[in-house]
Amino acid sequence: MSQFNLYQEEFQPSPIKNIWLEFKQSHFALAGLAVLLVFCTIAIVGPIFAPYDPSLQNTNALLLPPSWASNGSISHLLGTDSLGRDVFARVLYGSQTTFVSSVVLVAVALIVGVTLGTLAGMSSGVRSSILNHFLDALLAIPTLLIAIIIVAILGTGLINSMLAIILALIPQFVHQTRTFVRNEMEKDYILLDKLDGAGKFRIFWHSILPAMFELLAVQSTIALSIAIIDISALGFLNLGAQGVTVELGAMLSQSLESAYVAPWLVIVPGLCVFMLVLSVNIVGEGLRSALRNRLIH
Amino acid sequence: MITLLIRYLNLLTITFGVLIVFSFALAYLFPGDVLTNMSGIVPQSDAQRQALEKAYKLDQSIFSQFWHYLSNLFAGNWGVSFVSQADLLSEIKIAFPATIELTLYALLVAVFIGIPIGFIGGLNHHKPFDFGVVCYSVISYSFPVFWLALIFITIFSLQAGMFPLSGRINLLFDIPHQSGFILLDIFYSNIDNKSAAYIDAFKHLALPTLSIAIVTTAIFIRFARRSIMDVMEMGYIDAAKSRGFTTTQIFFKHGLRNALLPILPLMALQVSTLITNAMVVETIFSWPGIGSWLIQAIYQRDYPAIRMGMLVVSVFVVTLTITIEFLSRAIDPARDRFERVSV
Repeated sequence: MSQFNLYQEEFQPSPIKNIWLEFKQSHFALAGLAVLLVFCTIAIVGPIFAPYDPSLQNTNALLLPPSWASNGSISHLLGTDSLGRDVFARVLYGSQTTFVSSVVLVAVALIVGVTLGTLAGMSSGVRSSILNHFLDALLAIPTLLIAIIIVAILGTGLINSMLAIILALIPQFVHQTRTFVRNEMEKDYILLDKLDGAGKFRIFWHSILPAMFELLAVQSTIALSIAIIDISALGFLNLGAQGVTVELGAMLSQSLESAYVAPWLVIVPGLCVFMLVLSVNIVGEGLRSALRNRLIH
Repeated sequence: MITLLIRYLNLLTITFGVLIVFSFALAYLFPGDVLTNMSGIVPQSDAQRQALEKAYKLDQSIFSQFWHYLSNLFAGNWGVSFVSQADLLSEIKIAFPATIELTLYALLVAVFIGIPIGFIGGLNHHKPFDFGVVCYSVISYSFPVFWLALIFITIFSLQAGMFPLSGRINLLFDIPHQSGFILLDIFYSNIDNKSAAYIDAFKHLALPTLSIAIVTTAIFIRFARRSIMDVMEMGYIDAAKSRGFTTTQIFFKHGLRNALLPILPLMALQVSTLITNAMVVETIFSWPGIGSWLIQAIYQRDYPAIRMGMLVVSVFVVTLTITIEFLSRAIDPARDRFERVSV
């Protein structure tokens, strides 16, 4: 660098690049991102690494401890469960189910929530008020209760439990979007759009949505961690994934009867859920502080 | 103030109305016979069926059915459980206080541990202690509550044998059911060894409370930390500093109350999470609360029980949420109408 520099900033990073520059300052956030990427990889190509079919029962090796235990076997890396199924393969498939279904349901909740929130934020009067009151009621109903009702009406299953969690997540997106849109509608650049004759949809799509991106990114990570915990909790209570669908929470509840003799059956799936949620939370936290600090520097 | 009260009462009434209509509609939405879903009784003969249909006004229009349902609801005639044929109102009266008790203790632990820790962390921003607080809160926030409960059971009940595995109190203590709160019931009862009963009840309470409280504490730590950090950057704090107050004086005179204000509305949003966690933990510890009762009901497809349980829990949660919202608005009139504080 020369001693005197007339132009202090030689390049202007784009907003996204700016976030990334700030994000990678924190080593913890990077570590969280790495773990999250591992889970993403598992979610996409996980079954390739699985040494066995997750429902293949090896009756010669029931309740085999993990390979590092003295009586473990290297052919079953994380041991086997009470039906002789390979825990490692099941964890790979289970993480895939849990993670992918959580991502999908957050995406659906995001789209529906943002749409409703924008409608509520742009309109006023009776329609907006009815929507708000209805959502307040929905927000107050615990997720588990919504899940119980949906399961009672539609029956158990992964899709139905996803539906329940979507219903529980939507109000949060709506609230955030509504507040944001309402504040944004009063700003000058929106007025400019209006003077240019832009319709409501155009204002939303070209002006508000890009400004809302950061809020939605942070809100999605929060929603994702809630979704993962909830979907495995419903699986654990036998209200979610059924039968041959391998899911981490359901694995946990199936291993309960042999928990005393085979504690690793409880520890491994739970640890997997924990790591997944932890990495999502750390990335979310890093993203949030990056967004906050980006404006300071 | 009066307008605010009326507005919130109005909101409360409308929400209750929506919930009651919904619980009525559930009888039609649930699979199976509407009559059975409504009353919990499987008619054994045509004559009984007709008598029941007449009693529940199912032969009349949907509005008179709803009116009849409403009057039954307020008269305390909630129908019977499909499985056990027990009166639902008395069943819920036994189960629900147990859940409230568990939730209340967990909330108290979370408030009285989480908020001070969050404040200390926020005051020591960018110092090792604060870093530790953040790490702790992120990690404990990530625990799936059912897994945490299982780990506690494995470590403290199965391995160490320090705490009992399930239930509210040892059956050796014959505590009559009065308020439904176990600690109060022990107080009201006239057994000889009350202190032993208290110790036993506390041992039963410890693990479920702790499993719920750890996750909730993490949330409160984050709220409190963020809130005090925002407050300490305000102009009036600088003004107080320039007048020569010590940090302790500033914190107690100016910081504390202003930092507590935004935490209250956030508490309202946590109520439903707290109840969900309590319901999950109840099933693991066989705590005889509304959560394990509802889960049993869904396993047995006990539709009348699910309907009433849903109504009671959601009415409770809505009342609590709206009350907290109202209080926070009443205390802090500066709050914007549509504002939802973010973490």
